[in-house]
Amino acid sequence: MKERAPVVFIVDDDDAVRGSLRLLLKSVGLAATALPTAQEFLDKYDPQQPGCLILDVRMPGMSGMELQQQLNVRGATIPVIFITGHGDIPMAVEAMQQGAFDFLQKPFRDQDLIDRIQRALAKDVTTRTELNERSRLRERLDSLTPREREVLALVTSGKPNKIMAADLGVSQRTVEIHRARVMEKMHASSLAQLVRMVMDLNETATPEG
Amino acid sequence: MPTERKSSQELQALLDAAVDGIVVIDHAGSIQSFNRAAQGLFGYLSEEVVGRNVSVLMTDEDCATHDAHLARYLESRVPHIIGKGREVTARRKDGTVFPASLSVGLVTGENPPRFVGFIHDITAQRQTDTEAHRLQDRLMHVSRLATVGEMASGIAHELNQPLAAIATYAHACDRLLGIPDPEIDEVRVALKQIAEQAVRAGDIIRKLRSLAKTEESQRTAVDVNAVIEELTDLIQSDAKAHGVQYWRELAPNLPKVVLDRSQIQQVVLNLVRNALEALALGQLNTAQILITTRCNRDGDVEIAVRDTGPGVDSVLVHKIFDPFCSTKPTGTGLGLPISRTIVRTHGGALEYQPNIPAGACFIVKLPAIRTDQP
Repeated sequence: MKERAPVVFIVDDDDAVRGSLRLLLKSVGLAATALPTAQEFLDKYDPQQPGCLILDVRMPGMSGMELQQQLNVRGATIPVIFITGHGDIPMAVEAMQQGAFDFLQKPFRDQDLIDRIQRALAKDVTTRTELNERSRLRERLDSLTPREREVLALVTSGKPNKIMAADLGVSQRTVEIHRARVMEKMHASSLAQLVRMVMDLNETATPEG
Repeated sequence: MPTERKSSQELQALLDAAVDGIVVIDHAGSIQSFNRAAQGLFGYLSEEVVGRNVSVLMTDEDCATHDAHLARYLESRVPHIIGKGREVTARRKDGTVFPASLSVGLVTGENPPRFVGFIHDITAQRQTDTEAHRLQDRLMHVSRLATVGEMASGIAHELNQPLAAIATYAHACDRLLGIPDPEIDEVRVALKQIAEQAVRAGDIIRKLRSLAKTEESQRTAVDVNAVIEELTDLIQSDAKAHGVQYWRELAPNLPKVVLDRSQIQQVVLNLVRNALEALALGQLNTAQILITTRCNRDGDVEIAVRDTGPGVDSVLVHKIFDPFCSTKPTGTGLGLPISRTIVRTHGGALEYQPNIPAGACFIVKLPAIRTDQP
């Protein structure tokens, strides 16, 4: 599947701030979409679109903090860079605690913002790759039969074939066949790799870390 | 005769014991009696002034009116100042003057009549009044500064917006010009924006300064709507900083009101501050402040500041205008009393009523200039 080009979203109610940010991003060749309200961003938000979000903390209607909460509720992974006014530091700290990627105080140096955007976009790519990886793993896991799942659980908990055979009430030979099928279906070339996959999947099982 | 002489001595003793200056004059204004207190007040000995016209005790201005009063009374016998106290400027022997309260009585049963004047030096009282006024002005200024101070975070945020835009536009221009074959039109638009935003920042600072500066009370006939409009940016930024929506509904064609612009603006800002703080206590979903103006049935101009907060507790309603009755942890308890004093010195009234369906509503009533009178 071809990756879509990243877009930097800007949400700020101030026309001049929004306009200047859009022009700055354009000057460094980044695609940008600027919106005046948090609600418009939520309405247009597409989880499949790679990118990052530059968000003003204070806005009438839905504030930047509230938008971040909404995105968290939806399980959105888009990295958020908050831009804050003078004296909004406690708010910025709270935003970071809520999982914001970074924050910048207005007015800021262009390079500081661009560096943060680049890092945010890189983070987004990593997150998306991981998510894709996990969804592939999940698909593979789903293709296992109930018995194969039992074997997977026992193998990755470190049980030798002989014990497994006794636990499951089958021959050691049957265990070996199941085990080979699990390795093949999960695309694992070693026991270590299989253990790693199970750990990754367990992480996704509890997304609110 | 001895009895007559005795009673005359008694009278003089009585007059001399009085605290106030007592001067008796005949119908022509000639001084007939000048008690001890009067001697102390004016610096004349009794024998220096008895027989002279009372005008020696007055400023030239008061002389003319005094003669006119006397002549008018003698002709019409209708008292104008007799029995009533009035404030005059009295002149001492050395030419210096002092403010005095004068009340005039008629010595009845004589023709032509004689008059008795009681003179009370009110210099000290005047000084106290002046001092009280000065303190009141100072208090109003301090409270205005406090209001401005409270708004500072909103203003700082508001100032940051154009500054951030200027910096970012300038950076963008720099980068755009670094590209081979740059789009000059885009750079031009950005430069124009930079200039506009600098003006915007200047406007914000000017508004703040005009609000904070000490100035002599200046009353002029103004359009109340213009007074409210001037505050829009300040209120808007403060409201925004609190996540509150600010609306205004200003009635067109209001009659003008004679007022001190900065004082009335202080009152409005104070009411808005109170509203913002009240809203911070409640649900933020519908946090709104509405300022309306209108001309009421009596022809007075009303400014109403409404909010959708919790409103004033019915237990406190009768106390909110009392000094030091603050419900806020950081409040001085002077905002509303000072506001009411300011509005009253304008001949108006500041009143509270619950807002419908919820919240508080403060109404500033100001007497309008009547157009049906010359």
